[in-house]
Amino acid sequence: MYRLISVMLILMVGMGCARNNVETINIAGSTAFQPFAEKLAEEFMAVHPDVRVNVQGGGSAVGIQSAQSGVVQIGMADIVTLPKEAEGLNSIVAAKDAIVIIVHPTNKVDNLSLQQIQDIFSGRLNNWAELGGEKGEKGEKGENKSITVVSREEGSGTRDSFHDMLLKGVQLSPHALIQNSTGAVRLMVQSDPSAIGYITHGVVTPDVKAIAIDGIAPSPENIHAGKYNVVRPIFLLTKGELKGKAGEFIDFILSPQGQKIIADNGLLPVK
Amino acid sequence: MEDKIVVKGLNLCFDTHHVLKSIDLNIRANEILSIIGPANSGKTSFLRTLNRLNDIISTVKITGEILLDGIDIYKKDILLPWLRRKVGMVFALPVPLPRSIFENIVYGPRLNGVTSKAKLEELVEKTLKAAFLWDEVKDRLHLSGTKLSGGQQQRLCIARALALEPEVILLDEPCSGLDPLSTSRIEEALYELKKQYTIVLVTNNTKQAARVGDNVAFFLMGEMIEYGSTEQIFTVPHDKRTEDYITGRFG
Amino acid sequence: MKYRENLIQIGLLLTALSTIAILFLIALFILHEGLPIILKVGIKGFICGSHWSPQQGHFGIFPMIIGTVWITIGALLVSLPLSLSCAIYLSEFSTTKVRAVLKPVIELLAGIPSVVYGFIGMVVLFPMVRNYFGGTGPCILSAAIILGIMILPTITSIAIDSLQAVPYSFREGSLSLGATRWQTIRMVILPAAKSGILSGIILGVGRAVGETMAVIMIAGNSVIIPGSFLDPVRTLTANIALEMNYATGDHRQALFATGIVLFIAIIILNIIANTIARRGVEK
Repeated sequence: MYRLISVMLILMVGMGCARNNVETINIAGSTAFQPFAEKLAEEFMAVHPDVRVNVQGGGSAVGIQSAQSGVVQIGMADIVTLPKEAEGLNSIVAAKDAIVIIVHPTNKVDNLSLQQIQDIFSGRLNNWAELGGEKGEKGEKGENKSITVVSREEGSGTRDSFHDMLLKGVQLSPHALIQNSTGAVRLMVQSDPSAIGYITHGVVTPDVKAIAIDGIAPSPENIHAGKYNVVRPIFLLTKGELKGKAGEFIDFILSPQGQKIIADNGLLPVK
Repeated sequence: MEDKIVVKGLNLCFDTHHVLKSIDLNIRANEILSIIGPANSGKTSFLRTLNRLNDIISTVKITGEILLDGIDIYKKDILLPWLRRKVGMVFALPVPLPRSIFENIVYGPRLNGVTSKAKLEELVEKTLKAAFLWDEVKDRLHLSGTKLSGGQQQRLCIARALALEPEVILLDEPCSGLDPLSTSRIEEALYELKKQYTIVLVTNNTKQAARVGDNVAFFLMGEMIEYGSTEQIFTVPHDKRTEDYITGRFG
Repeated sequence: MKYRENLIQIGLLLTALSTIAILFLIALFILHEGLPIILKVGIKGFICGSHWSPQQGHFGIFPMIIGTVWITIGALLVSLPLSLSCAIYLSEFSTTKVRAVLKPVIELLAGIPSVVYGFIGMVVLFPMVRNYFGGTGPCILSAAIILGIMILPTITSIAIDSLQAVPYSFREGSLSLGATRWQTIRMVILPAAKSGILSGIILGVGRAVGETMAVIMIAGNSVIIPGSFLDPVRTLTANIALEMNYATGDHRQALFATGIVLFIAIIILNIIANTIARRGVEK
């Protein structure tokens, strides 16, 4: 009996000691930036083996709240302007990201005007046929199918940016399907030929088609040149200036190396 | 007196366990056959071959013939419900269905197509009287069968078996859990019943066999050792093993 | 020696009490967090209000209650025929060996994480629903099918146990009276196992009501009162999960209040299940 207790005590002390040798950096928030944060974390940890970087999602609002409450050292938010909940936090722009509207690859629509986008997402326009001609998915009898609108949950920075920059005050249709991450939106659009949604430019894959807005396509050139301007910053939020390994991680993200990783993987570097 | 049931070369196995070994036995109509023997001799298994109740055990293998009025009941095209209506059974532990006394008795006949209320009520009265239970329950027919005493439940089960108007009644140690008064009531009922039915009674109680049976078969370890009239078996048994069992040298 | 026995007894008692204490603390916590908003909006306004837009201060959860109810009913419609047939087959018709293999396999279904179910629903079920029924994919029908499969092992397993618990003598008694196997099952065994099967069903319902991850992925999450089973819906659980991360103030309280509603629903279901089970035993 006593032997068991002493073994357990030694184990607990041992575990405590082991922890002290590894420093942990916690970073959470925007699901749009999350895959890039993970890539950056991988590279950082390769160079600094004594550091563990934990990357979590949860949405931009989570990033803001977690940074405020101190749960994480760094909060990520992809949002046009920081809301009042972010008051008091130190904000650093790590990258820029375009929001693109996506449809199924078989959808014949290549371009939508701002008005059409607002009409579709508010539900005023709800059949692909109304966009004229042979557009969109056909049903079994050749009838045109109605548009499936896919959006993000409230609290998503991507959603807030989309509403700010494109919807501009127009209410989202209550029939819109809500998914709780950028990846889920993409999955929904790539499996439904009559769906339309919006995701961050950095995670567009060949399974979906990004369309032009008012004639301007979301190509890398157009985005870099500023022609395609549905772009918002990715903020890294911290309580005060970070020192130690966490500060080094932020420096790494802003360094040419880090920015190159960001650019290589499809996001816009800050510089 | 013809033979109601003829058993020829009956062998029964559960997987590799050889329970009944080459049984040959003739059961005459309108008589009570008592089957005696120590525990695990195969008495109950034998009884259950007569209404093919062993069939529900998936590991069972049976060879041999059992002729009921000349028809082999193990033939492929025998309908089990038909057989079990002809050959009724009363179990060692009374198992009334969780329903009223009335419902217990009419369960079988209803399945057989009897729907007229008058006929069913007549059946209930007739069978309860034959089982010597009518007077005790006639004004409580809608009481649940499970609320009767052990002896009453067993008589209910007899009445229930009678309701199908069988030709043979099998009883598996029907008095094993009962007090002497209930036991004697049941034995009284059996005397009356044999006038109309053929009865096969498995019993652990040799004295009961001596009281009640016309003929006796002695089973030991899956074999039938001896068969004869009650008087002969209990006074001058042919086989030494029979004698040892009856006199209580083993039990 | 006696001292040690007492010590062990006290230790076990404390552990048992702490489990109950945890339950109480959880209940107290969500009551504390959620009650103020219910008092502010009024029970009727909260539960019957069909307008949920937290940014504008509207906290009616009726659409979500309807969503939960419809998905649960759908799940029952899907799983009951399957699970009862399966249970009857495995209990009454299959051999012991077959049952010993198949029952654990069915129970394995219960071990599949709900997110996997959600994923399969999205990738496999949506196209099928779209092609054969119409609509967009995420809807009551899809959620009902996936949830039905999720609660199937719960109901089947308990139903098998209830059927097996019926005394063997009932079967023999019925068969020896000339009943066929199916007649015996229908008229003797099923009624005898009824209370056990019912409480198994209610446990399945409880699981369906509380399911969150799979439902978020396949129900569509639109806050509307559905007009057909091809409409998307949002359940109470999905509502909490989608918005809890960022809600503050009244909104946060409203989500806790949703939790109170769920808690009460589950308690009621469990009380019903226990009462049915107990009444079965008494008979």
